[in-house]
Amino acid sequence: MKINSEKLRETLEKMHREGYKYLVKLTAVDYTDRIEVLYFIRNLDNSKEETVRFDLSTKNPHIPTVLDLYLAADWYERELSEMFGIKIDGRNAKRLLLEKWDGKDPPMRKSFIWSKPYEGMKDAVKWAEKYKDDKDKKDGGQNVIRIGKPLK
Amino acid sequence: MGETKINIGPVHPSTHGVLRLVVTLDGDTIRKVEPHIGFLHRGVEKLVETRMYMQSPSYMEKIDYVAPLSYDELYVATIEAALGIAVKERAQYVRLIQLELQRIASHLLWLGTAINDIGQLFSVFMWCFKDRDIVLSLLEEATGGRMFYVNQRLGGLNRDMAPGFDKHAYKALDYLEKRIGEYQEYLESNPIFMERMKKIGVMSKEEAISLGVTGPTLRGSGVEFDVRENYPYYVYEKLNFNTQFENSGDCFARYRVRINEMKESIRLVREALHIIPEGDAIGMPIRLIGPQPKEKEVMVRRELPRGEGMMYMVTEGQRPYRLSIRAPSFINTAILQHLPKGHRLQDLFPILASVDTVMADVDR
Repeated sequence: MKINSEKLRETLEKMHREGYKYLVKLTAVDYTDRIEVLYFIRNLDNSKEETVRFDLSTKNPHIPTVLDLYLAADWYERELSEMFGIKIDGRNAKRLLLEKWDGKDPPMRKSFIWSKPYEGMKDAVKWAEKYKDDKDKKDGGQNVIRIGKPLK
Repeated sequence: MGETKINIGPVHPSTHGVLRLVVTLDGDTIRKVEPHIGFLHRGVEKLVETRMYMQSPSYMEKIDYVAPLSYDELYVATIEAALGIAVKERAQYVRLIQLELQRIASHLLWLGTAINDIGQLFSVFMWCFKDRDIVLSLLEEATGGRMFYVNQRLGGLNRDMAPGFDKHAYKALDYLEKRIGEYQEYLESNPIFMERMKKIGVMSKEEAISLGVTGPTLRGSGVEFDVRENYPYYVYEKLNFNTQFENSGDCFARYRVRINEMKESIRLVREALHIIPEGDAIGMPIRLIGPQPKEKEVMVRRELPRGEGMMYMVTEGQRPYRLSIRAPSFINTAILQHLPKGHRLQDLFPILASVDTVMADVDR
């Protein structure tokens, strides 16, 4: 079921009244020009499933929280906001759920840069840059990057 | 007396992995539990996007190292749905047998570790490990692998069951059925076990549905839902399958559901071995470039030992564009914020054990 992003609360409230009380999964797909958000909901009485989906713009995306309808949305929303950089209106988690990264560049977006050297590499790169034009240039013009401190 | 905050984990024998719990206590009573997860986050969903379809199954097995075969099968089934490949009839039976054996192995490991957590019942831990080894030997005979299998191929399997497997299986299943009955009898007549499991961590039916818990944790709260019955796959429809559930919603109910599921699995394997058709079960060999996907997006669900697993995949050429995994442990761990409230500190670990989480599955 494709809806408008503004009608999310309205639709889910209606579905919840109809018996779709089980949130199976909340996820998103980044199509580079838009982000599609999907709510898989289920009616456990008759095993009917419905997918509520809508598009968001990639710039400053935000959705309202549905935590009051589905308690299961708690961690799913936090995961979504960390992984896709989608702001959840009505939630302000102080701590990252899947911790141990800076949380600034959303990793599941297609614009995420993979080959960023990690912090510890920066010094090594700087050091290599400094000695680039050193006498170490062997035949073929290849740079030899020395490991460890340079010998004097 | 004011509130006390204590930190449990991330490395603690009873968390079975790297889970950190920050517990706020009022005397001995739990007021708030804050689970910290993410120590094992490997970004599986992102890594899959960089690989061809059939490069990932071995990596999928490591999501849940207690039940690797189930995840392997879930992933390969997703690919089959996306590429529009039908599974051979014999392969459907063999997969079902292996999935149910994997479920027994996983639940036996759970039984041992959970009972170890609640008290000094270490003997059960050793017995369960010994019995789990029998199941692993059966799986080794069937697939060639002991811990990790990578036996699933598109449309079938890498290796069919060896001749004479059914004889070994019947013998092992008879033994296991006897043993599981003995464990149940022993545990349910043990006052320590009963005191620590009954009326602990009670979750009502409405609460369980709203919290979105899954698997034996959901069925322990009186919800009669099992993917194998409600959305049947393979040949579950042909077999006489009954959903196991309990109504009391406490730790004991969740234990009971798992015990009954093991018995049900034994019955299912026997039944499947009895009616398995002759024929070919070998799937396509692994090739990097396979058939073009027929579906733009697919959603596949399976009943994993820990609960309902679901994969939602958007395809693009020879690679997944996006793979979203619903990990049962992730959503089951979230209920630790609600369940232990009002209980005493000693009850935290029976509750944690009863939801059966694997931390690698939580973080993915």
